[in-house]
Amino acid sequence: MQVDLPYELKLIATLSGHEDRAWHLAWNPTKPLLASCSGDRSVRLYSYSPSALDFRLAASIPTGHTKSVRAVAWAPSGKTLVTASFDANIGVWEREEDDEDGAGEWECLTLLEGHETECKSVAYSSTGTLLASCSRDKSVWVWEVQPDADFECLGVMMEHTQDVKCVAWHPTEELLASASYDDTIRFYIDDPSDDWYCAATIQAHESTVWSLAWSPDGRFLASASDDKTVKIWKRTGQFQFKEVLVLTGHERAVFSLAWGKGKGGARSLGWLASTGSDGIIFVRELQEAEDTVTERLLTKVHDAHGVHDINTVAWCPTTGLEDILGSAGDDGNCKIWRIEPTGV
Amino acid sequence: MSEIYNPNPVIFSTNKQSKSNIHSIWLQDDEGYGSDTYFDDIVEPIDQNEIFDLIRTIYDPEHPNTLEELNVVSAPQIKISGNHLHVEFTPTVPHCGMSTLIGLSIRVRLMRSLPDRFKVDIVVKPGSHQSELAVNKQLNDKERVAAALENPALVKTIEATLQQGVV
Repeated sequence: MQVDLPYELKLIATLSGHEDRAWHLAWNPTKPLLASCSGDRSVRLYSYSPSALDFRLAASIPTGHTKSVRAVAWAPSGKTLVTASFDANIGVWEREEDDEDGAGEWECLTLLEGHETECKSVAYSSTGTLLASCSRDKSVWVWEVQPDADFECLGVMMEHTQDVKCVAWHPTEELLASASYDDTIRFYIDDPSDDWYCAATIQAHESTVWSLAWSPDGRFLASASDDKTVKIWKRTGQFQFKEVLVLTGHERAVFSLAWGKGKGGARSLGWLASTGSDGIIFVRELQEAEDTVTERLLTKVHDAHGVHDINTVAWCPTTGLEDILGSAGDDGNCKIWRIEPTGV
Repeated sequence: MSEIYNPNPVIFSTNKQSKSNIHSIWLQDDEGYGSDTYFDDIVEPIDQNEIFDLIRTIYDPEHPNTLEELNVVSAPQIKISGNHLHVEFTPTVPHCGMSTLIGLSIRVRLMRSLPDRFKVDIVVKPGSHQSELAVNKQLNDKERVAAALENPALVKTIEATLQQGVV
């Protein structure tokens, strides 16, 4: 048992219904709504009351994607949902407003085509004006979000030598990071007089880099790898990153990271959750100390989805709910957890 | 296949019967479990030979022989530790372009036959393939495996290697 740890993960809800593995989930940034996606090619939307955390199915979207839906992402406005599929396309979804409740159907406004093979990750920039996507075709695309669900491709970066697993925007700047099967992390910016380009590369891990998460203050980046480690990188210059901490403990590939504000003190850099093929969820509090970062293990849960792999962890972005974590697993379930001090 | 990677493989004689029960390749049969849910937690140990029985009959993608007959798989190359299964196989030639497909067939057979609790790693025998690291990485990348199994042409080829009862 986890008697020595200061916090525990308390299960609040198990959201079942997907008929294949749940790959990913995303919390709506402005509304109490959670989206999950799956190998069954559907997206499920759950609504909840922020006080009661009573999750119930609000909609199930068949999507029309012809292969697994690998990832979902919300626009910062909370209005638009995008889906990344192994069918190489990206779906852009909004809800029809056909009555006062806005309880209309979710409709696909447009399908972004361009990737040649499986699209694996999508992300909106902090202002919502840019969308990034990546694929097994080794490319990273940056799209400009224009009115009326129009998207213009601003750049296609073919820098990675293998599949690109994840894209992650800096929380305030238009700086994009990508993680790859080629074991590296790359960073991209817009050259005002030219195109988007790759400004820096880190030989980050000894195997595939599966996931990236920026710290809430944007001064650090965390990376998770098939090499079973999680690394914390400090941004020391505009495009300079220095490894400041290696987190061990996972027994198999680490698939997902989420770095939230948490409910720590003012000196805290926030709470970092990690999970993967070993079915363990770690939650750590990170603190800055001189030129480095220190970790405090808050809690660790084995078999969080039974015997199954866990593909994603994601913190609820709502103020007051910084201690609520969602996870998605190969059992087809999404689970909602609260991180509570032990013994409460 | 446009190119035959090993036109003339060595065929090895095989055991007529394995040491364990050959009547059931499905490890999750009802026998011995019953309906009492209390017994669902009882984990039946699965041994090396049972795993070998599951994969020995898989056909090579480019020869009318099984992986056992070609010495691609063998019981000593299977390691089980708790819920962790490590399967090594030996491509017939170091430039074998079929290695990824063979590994994928092994993975699919095990995925369909074993309880969910098993985490399976599949690798080529160290030193047996010129692209050893690349083959191993691909065979154990969850996304790549998932995507491969959504490719109808590839699935058809895998199903052909997994057909039963053809001697």
